[in-house]
Amino acid sequence: MTFFKKPKKLLEQKKTANEAENQGSSPSSQSNLETSSYSEQAAKVNQNQSIDVLLKDIEKSFSSSEDLMTHWVEMPADKSKVALIFLDSIIDKQKLQDLILNPLFELDKDIDLHTFETVINIDFKKQSDFAKIQELLLQSYTLIFTKDTTCYFSVFTPVKTERDIKEPDNEAVIRGSHEGFIESMSTNIALIRKRLKSPKLVVKYLQVGKETHTNVAMLYMSDIANPDVLHEIERRINSIEADSVMTPGNIEESIEDKTFSLFPQTLSTERPDRVAANLMEGRVALLYDSSPTVNLAPVNFFVFYQTPDDYNKRWMLGSFYRLIRLLSFYIAIGLPAFYIAIVSFHFEVIPSALILLMKSSLENIPYPPLFEALVMELTIELIREAAIRLPTRIGSTIAIVGGLVIGDAVVKAGLISNLMIIVVATTAIAAYTVPSNEMSLAVRLLRFPFMVAAATFGFLGIVFGLILMFFHLCRLYSFGTPYLAPLAPFKIGDLKDTIIRLPFLKMNSRPSDIKPIKKDEDNHTRKWEKS
Amino acid sequence: MNSSHTITHRQLFFIITQSQIGVGVLSLPYTLFVKAKTDGWISLLLAGLFIQFSILAIWKLCEMYPKQTIFDFMPKIVGTKLGAVLNFLFVAHLFSVCVVLLILYNSVVSKWIFYQTPRLVVISMLALTCVYCITCTAREIARFLMLVSPLLLVMFIFVGYAYTDVHLLYAFPVGASGIKTILSGSTDALISLLGFDTALVFLAYTQGRSNSKLKAISYASLCVTLFYCFVTFTTYIFFNPVEIVIVPEPVLYMLKAFSFKILERTDLIFLSIWIVFVTTSLISYLFFTAKGVQSIFKLKHHKSAAPYVGIICALIASIPASKLDVQLWSKLIGMSALCCSGIFPIFLLLIAVIRKRKGKGKGAVST
Repeated sequence: MTFFKKPKKLLEQKKTANEAENQGSSPSSQSNLETSSYSEQAAKVNQNQSIDVLLKDIEKSFSSSEDLMTHWVEMPADKSKVALIFLDSIIDKQKLQDLILNPLFELDKDIDLHTFETVINIDFKKQSDFAKIQELLLQSYTLIFTKDTTCYFSVFTPVKTERDIKEPDNEAVIRGSHEGFIESMSTNIALIRKRLKSPKLVVKYLQVGKETHTNVAMLYMSDIANPDVLHEIERRINSIEADSVMTPGNIEESIEDKTFSLFPQTLSTERPDRVAANLMEGRVALLYDSSPTVNLAPVNFFVFYQTPDDYNKRWMLGSFYRLIRLLSFYIAIGLPAFYIAIVSFHFEVIPSALILLMKSSLENIPYPPLFEALVMELTIELIREAAIRLPTRIGSTIAIVGGLVIGDAVVKAGLISNLMIIVVATTAIAAYTVPSNEMSLAVRLLRFPFMVAAATFGFLGIVFGLILMFFHLCRLYSFGTPYLAPLAPFKIGDLKDTIIRLPFLKMNSRPSDIKPIKKDEDNHTRKWEKS
Repeated sequence: MNSSHTITHRQLFFIITQSQIGVGVLSLPYTLFVKAKTDGWISLLLAGLFIQFSILAIWKLCEMYPKQTIFDFMPKIVGTKLGAVLNFLFVAHLFSVCVVLLILYNSVVSKWIFYQTPRLVVISMLALTCVYCITCTAREIARFLMLVSPLLLVMFIFVGYAYTDVHLLYAFPVGASGIKTILSGSTDALISLLGFDTALVFLAYTQGRSNSKLKAISYASLCVTLFYCFVTFTTYIFFNPVEIVIVPEPVLYMLKAFSFKILERTDLIFLSIWIVFVTTSLISYLFFTAKGVQSIFKLKHHKSAAPYVGIICALIASIPASKLDVQLWSKLIGMSALCCSGIFPIFLLLIAVIRKRKGKGKGAVST
């Protein structure tokens, strides 16, 4: 039924007389119609030419890449020739067969070029914009050219290269949904839509990267999200002018408020339920092509310490564990520093019962406490980095060898005091309790300056370090909303879902730092009590 | 003025509180005791009353010239030339206040924590931290000052712990030293209550009704006066009157005596918290100074003035070497600060009111 031929063989007979006149008139007609980044190259692909010249132009614009294929099909009705053109590597041949060829030949003998659209499927579109040819081809479309050269048809035939929906490894929960995002944007949007079945959920597509043409989808609730924030995010994304925007990290870094800050200013997550909940608070989600990571903005510091697990626990337990997590922030940045300050400057602070114990542990260590701490902290970072790169089975071996063996041996050898091992281990555990990976990294890096400050100036150094850090947080913004809200500026009403988690019946207003246009959250979960 | 720079009157309250509570809290009971014996706390209350007049004057001035700092309206009150001179003098006074803050901070730190560390290091550590903190808008400063305010409660609890071991009889008889000595003690108390004058610049950024602004400043000053009074009174009934004379930082000595099962030497923890309050006072004064320098040199932003202000203050503050020098400097600058911050606004207000009356009179004649 189908027959494939080299296009060149057919070219000879297809040479039309009007070729010359078309070539003269066409360049001016369309090249400035389309302002997309394709138009520059697309200018070569001109309208109203004969079909084979057109195909040649397309081939040339793809630098004769060998996965660009052209197939010729003869229409059953009027025996006219039709050209199918596609990028072989990114289309699904089965779909091509099912969606185009089979309908063409099986359904009706009377189909001609003009009734094309009615037969084939929903993804079938008549196109007249010749500047978009390259873009469509690159987006896994198959294009159909007929002898009518004023228009062409496009069919979406993507090859499926998705993995299954799995729970994200780095954001596991005990209770609650175990779904995670995958590398397909449409599936990801579907996962969110499944949770927010509301017509007010808006999807907006943007494109960045002159060569990579990365698609970005912006999701928000139209009646909650603040339009100023939306504008700001859109403006920043649109202003990205770069050849390649490969990773979400690229976009994240180009749109965040302060690049020279350790603290992440957008929340990345792989959990659809987390995204859905944040959308309902008025935040904006950014989804990327072929990335399971979704960024949420604007965020504040405390969003990084919330996890969907909190809302599946009883509220007192949820609050308790959130407080533990916030405490872990201080432990992770401050504990080694505090220990160093005590043993090298303020021995007087230690209660008398403990003094002998500490002294005996420290007595025979040849190194200053800062050096001890730095060595051990760096060892832990080494183990972590090595364990990430290795498969899980070897990873756990590394953890045991690194953690137990080195930790034990180093104390026995008398290089590091056993108190320091306790401090370093507690710190490492505390740093991993942060539910967000970026924040955990920030916290882990922060403790080094604190350790140096403590070794130089004792408590004074820690206090100045904390002052600087908190002031930095006070002047940090995420898309124009204060980062340390609701503590600075202080809003007592917003504390109910930041430091602690109050029961759901108390949660009837949205956090005000992101300035949602609908402040009230219609939330009356215990109406039955009143009757 | 940019709308994103404004602060609320609640934030103003915390700014004034944080500027007022500073270096003084450690040694205030001692300095008051030297003058007024165990009636020092009465002098403090009187001082609190006196500064209310200055506060009223400052508030009235800022009411007459809304959304302007003192450097903006000074030339309007006394004329351009004299205004420029007075602005310059006022900035010099602010510089001296920053310097004395740094000197006193250094004298405490070198006595209690770092005995050997060079002065310049200890001082520039604080000064540079503050320089970073003032390179932003008034609103962000206000947010930070509000954020650290809960530490005041911690201080309160620390001092309050002393009530497990007090002897009320030490404070009696009340008023034994006579009104004259009590009054003379209140000048010393006034110096430690300074900080309300930062309202001269922060009021320009404050939004809201004028009454609530006045209330914010007055309540702030009331709270600080009561807190100081509480601290002073507690040390007076904790220590025997004979003891206080030999302890120049009674609060720290008092805390040094407490020890818990998990913590020995509470005073070191207290000192760490106290440093936060020194920082906040210096932040608001340095911001004030940087704003002054900005208006004198007609800079676009006070940000560019901040590093110079901080470094100059740190350099000057590391000059006085001996204890006597420190005492002399702090006494001289304290007196000048009292005149500039406490009395000067009242005079300025008088001139402004008289000028306005005259202007009105002239206006009436001409029409």
